[in-house]
Amino acid sequence: MAKKQSASKQAAAAPSAEDHNDSSTVEQLRRPAEVEHADQLEALHQNDSDTPPAAWKLSPRAVLTYIIGGKPLKAKLDGKTVEVPITRKFFGDDGLVERAIVTLASERALLLVGEPGTGKSWLSEHLAAAVSGDSTLTIQGTAGTTEEHVKYSWNIARVIAEGPTPGNMIPSPTMLAMRRGGVLRFEEITRCVPDVQDALVSILSDKAINVPELPDDNMVWARPGFNVIATANTRDQGVNELSAALKRRFNYIHIPIVADQKTEIEIVQKRSADLIDRYGVSTSITPPLVTLLTTVFREIREGKTTDGVSVKQPSTTVSTAEAIGVALDAALHASFFGSGQIRPSDIARNLVGSIVKEDTADLAVLKEYAVLVAKKRAAKDKNWKEFHDTLVASLK
Amino acid sequence: MDPNVANAVSPEALERVSDQIALDADAVRARAEAVLAEDLYWFPVRHHSPAVARHLESAILARRPKVVLIEGPSEATDLIPYVVDSKTHPPVAIYSSYRDDDNVLGLAGIASPAKDIPPRFACWYPLVGYSPEYIAMKAAARIKAKVVFIDLPHHALIEPHVEEEDEPSAQDPSGKVPGPDSAPSQSRGKKYTVEFDAEHLIVESRFYQKLAEVAGYRNWNEAWDSLFEKSDFGDDTEAFRRELATFCAAARATCSPRRIEADGTLARERFMWRTIGRTLKKEKIRPREAMVVCGGFHLFLDRDDATPPPEAPSGTVYTTVMPYSFFRISELSGYAAGNRAPQFYQTCFELARDGRADDVLVEHVVAVLKRARREGEHLSSADAIAASQHARLLANLRGRAQPVLDDIQDALITCCCKGDPADEGMHLLQAIDAVNIGTKVGRVTPALGRLPLVNDFYGQLDDLDLGEVMGREKQLTTSLDKREELDARRSAFLHRLLSLDVPIGQMIDAPSGDFDTGMIFREKWALRWSPKVEPALIEKSLYGDTLQAAALGRLQEQLADDRQHAGKTCGHLVRAIDMDLPQMVTDIEKACGDAIDADVRFVSLTTALGHLAVLDRYAAYRNLRRDVLEDLLVRCFDRACFSIPEVASVPEDQQEEVVAALLSLAELLLRSDDSRLDRALFAEHVRGAADQSQVPFLRGAFLGMLAEIRQMDPVDLAAEVSAYARASADEMARAGDFVDGIMAVSRTSIMLGADALVGAIDDLLRAADWDVFLTMIPRLRAAFERLHERQCDAMAQRVAVRYGLSDEGESLTELRTSVGAAALIARIDRQVAEVMKEWEF
Repeated sequence: MAKKQSASKQAAAAPSAEDHNDSSTVEQLRRPAEVEHADQLEALHQNDSDTPPAAWKLSPRAVLTYIIGGKPLKAKLDGKTVEVPITRKFFGDDGLVERAIVTLASERALLLVGEPGTGKSWLSEHLAAAVSGDSTLTIQGTAGTTEEHVKYSWNIARVIAEGPTPGNMIPSPTMLAMRRGGVLRFEEITRCVPDVQDALVSILSDKAINVPELPDDNMVWARPGFNVIATANTRDQGVNELSAALKRRFNYIHIPIVADQKTEIEIVQKRSADLIDRYGVSTSITPPLVTLLTTVFREIREGKTTDGVSVKQPSTTVSTAEAIGVALDAALHASFFGSGQIRPSDIARNLVGSIVKEDTADLAVLKEYAVLVAKKRAAKDKNWKEFHDTLVASLK
Repeated sequence: MDPNVANAVSPEALERVSDQIALDADAVRARAEAVLAEDLYWFPVRHHSPAVARHLESAILARRPKVVLIEGPSEATDLIPYVVDSKTHPPVAIYSSYRDDDNVLGLAGIASPAKDIPPRFACWYPLVGYSPEYIAMKAAARIKAKVVFIDLPHHALIEPHVEEEDEPSAQDPSGKVPGPDSAPSQSRGKKYTVEFDAEHLIVESRFYQKLAEVAGYRNWNEAWDSLFEKSDFGDDTEAFRRELATFCAAARATCSPRRIEADGTLARERFMWRTIGRTLKKEKIRPREAMVVCGGFHLFLDRDDATPPPEAPSGTVYTTVMPYSFFRISELSGYAAGNRAPQFYQTCFELARDGRADDVLVEHVVAVLKRARREGEHLSSADAIAASQHARLLANLRGRAQPVLDDIQDALITCCCKGDPADEGMHLLQAIDAVNIGTKVGRVTPALGRLPLVNDFYGQLDDLDLGEVMGREKQLTTSLDKREELDARRSAFLHRLLSLDVPIGQMIDAPSGDFDTGMIFREKWALRWSPKVEPALIEKSLYGDTLQAAALGRLQEQLADDRQHAGKTCGHLVRAIDMDLPQMVTDIEKACGDAIDADVRFVSLTTALGHLAVLDRYAAYRNLRRDVLEDLLVRCFDRACFSIPEVASVPEDQQEEVVAALLSLAELLLRSDDSRLDRALFAEHVRGAADQSQVPFLRGAFLGMLAEIRQMDPVDLAAEVSAYARASADEMARAGDFVDGIMAVSRTSIMLGADALVGAIDDLLRAADWDVFLTMIPRLRAAFERLHERQCDAMAQRVAVRYGLSDEGESLTELRTSVGAAALIARIDRQVAEVMKEWEF
């Protein structure tokens, strides 16, 4: 999943396309989507037979193909004709991606809501990259986010010296997105206090920011193509609920936790392998153990097992991202303290810390799962037996 | 999604899909063209398709055939005049039933409750106002063309019973052979049901599967609507017919021949082809003067197949036309070949007829929003505009000329639901379902006569010697002893009527939990005629043509509704036995297991346990499988134990039912000799709930329960009461609730720990000041009122002993007086009362 930006990216720091290219030559822990997948975006652009909406880099259908993957495309890159595979970026309901793309082409802004770890920021980044070619115009919502972060601020020293002028203004990512006809990403919008959220109301309805300090140049108008993708965590619901006025300017798209086990297995297998590799650990998690891990997560999350037994659900989020975390912890544990091979017991041991976080009552969830579900399976399967025995021991 | 295949089965699309599945596109086209070019005019249809209906009507009116041959039940051809009667209003269904009087199929006792009861099989052919078959009949009537149904009678496809080594004991759960309105079911691998809709063959075909994959269709309905319902054919009926025929030719060419054979399609086609030939001959008309209206799949039936169709078995066949409803026809009602949105397609049909097809989107969006507002959603016209725009853009992205229902629903959810659709969108989704389905109920012309269910009711009244009930307007009380065969049948008959809400009477004395009294076999009923009996039967005739079939249908529906509710599902098991529907028992037992696994509600699970315990006791009498019941009991008990902490702090209005449930659970545990009922598990969770509970009444009940099952010393329980004496005034005021909780569950423990408890309450009352005392006294009083007389006496004795009054107490309770003295006391009492009245107290 995409690592969230740690702070608001102010205008001066917003990278241009050249910056992206320069940065691609420097060793970098993580590159934005438009750089990482520049070849795919270019291939889609060259093969795009539909007309993109104003200021969009790609047509909606090409954006969809970028997000959900498609057949390899021939493209001319650096003077050579090559075949570029278009990989799937988002695993889940394709209809949901279609709805998100259509929303961005409409009057309303897009709010992606869902449990933590469901890929909201990841989808937001890729949508911004495909639609506007820049996923870095981002505001990270926190309790400390102010209206200035959303609209604009001033270079105080120069204002003291010269008074407010357009040159002394520091535009926010919002203002930059408006000027460029690009996409603003507003992460964790419900972490912001209502006053700050409401700064968006006029931006989304009037498509303009009023600058009263500059009487001769007091309006910044959005160019066609401007829109906002916000994300909100359902766990924060009720903390800073959006006002009715703001709600009606957003289309909400709920991102559910991965719907089918096959896809979840695929994600956990791929992402945990990437992470294990990144940490330089020479072990791997076998497919039966990935299946066991995702089965446990899925059943506890849904409160229902595959054989129809209802079980308690914990107070914490049991997302795919958490399952990947358990796989990584199990790998580290096996590597540093175990035989080097990940075993069901490593998963059971690390599961406790992943499920029982804020509320010790969640221990009862695992205990119930061990007694009602794992025990039955332990009689027929040695992996489940080792998992059950370690889990029961860990819970004592 | 590949935009080139999203629109229709265009030549390019057919090529592209064909390439990927090695299908000869030219051969497919040639096959379709050959059929379309025949003298006999074939029109392919899909059930309940407004687009097909519209084009078909045009074709009939343009060609003016002398005979229209329709894929409908041939045994019901005589009913066509009633279907097209001006007083018949769809939705209606052609109903056909078959009774195997002589057991020629050998299914008596297998597809019927007993060997001496002939099995019955029934089939419904629902028709809505825009069903192509209905429109064809109406159009034919307009041009005075003859209409003939050409499909094989449904009972000709019932497979006779074949004796196997492992004699099947399981029975067909429905006892019928559903037609288009039912999915097939199997009984130990033996099939007694028939598929009358070839649509599943299209869906299973490699061609459709690949097309759906390439075009991104998420389901068959979406594919159909994109390809045919909303594609722009204008008034070009022939283009539409060609497109649909080509599609079906491709599907048929990539469908497994074995599958076509196995589901009876070939047998039906042989019958259809033969009927077509015979009709043309009989009517002495040339093929070009006739027209065939059938599923697109059947256009390509083998004209050279010389194999004769199966003969229909002998027996009693009954056909009629009955009222139907949009809900019954919708997929939501469980109708397998159902229409996902009967009202939506009705609107599509009507608007298209008025030349306003483009208005469907706005009309539907506005209707849903209007309905959602009634459900409490705050939605404005701006939302309607946004949803309509979104639907158009989605349709465009998905390669469609116009939005289909899927696009409209996606748009409504995107623009009007502010969060998780399953949570915040609940009312919206309900509104969408309601507007999609509609509430229309059909009417059948009175010219047709009485419905079979009503006939069955009167027939059984006579058979069971209960005719007296309907003879006069007077209550009749009847006692039944179910050990007598006639009374057992009467009981089942009355239970079935009760289950169908036919207001003929009620049970006034029933089997209770007291199994020593012999009540298990006896029932007492109060019966009375009511003018509402017949209307109720007519209404319930949708469920079946006999009381047994209707009760079965109703029970199946209730079972589906309550599948997550263990208490209700186990109640249905009891009802299935009361109604003598043994063919349902195995299914319900499984449903009970699933519901128990799914349900986490303590009260529901305990209710289920109660039902199972009753059944367990008369398992032998009713030939129930005791091992299955015992397994369900243990599973239910375990789950109920785990769910106790969930009710640790329920609101006041639910507390009494929680306590009652707790008592039932404990009683079962104490009375049962089954070692698999884990007392430690129960105690552990009761203790957990007590620790967790913030409600003094419930905490008292949980701790009282622990004392009752000897898992807590009564002295420790009394210490909990004493603790209130040392608490703050606010806390102390709630002591009455705590004691009330203890008393609510205590039976024997209260006697064992009476000394300690009396001491603790005494401490409490001494510590309480006047205001606190006044606050706690109502609940304390309520607590003591729960005690039985013996318990009250024992407590009073302890109080007397504590205050050194035991001897006096004894003499007081033994007070005796003469009759004269008692009369004197009464007189004095009256006089005192009169004096006090004068004083105006």
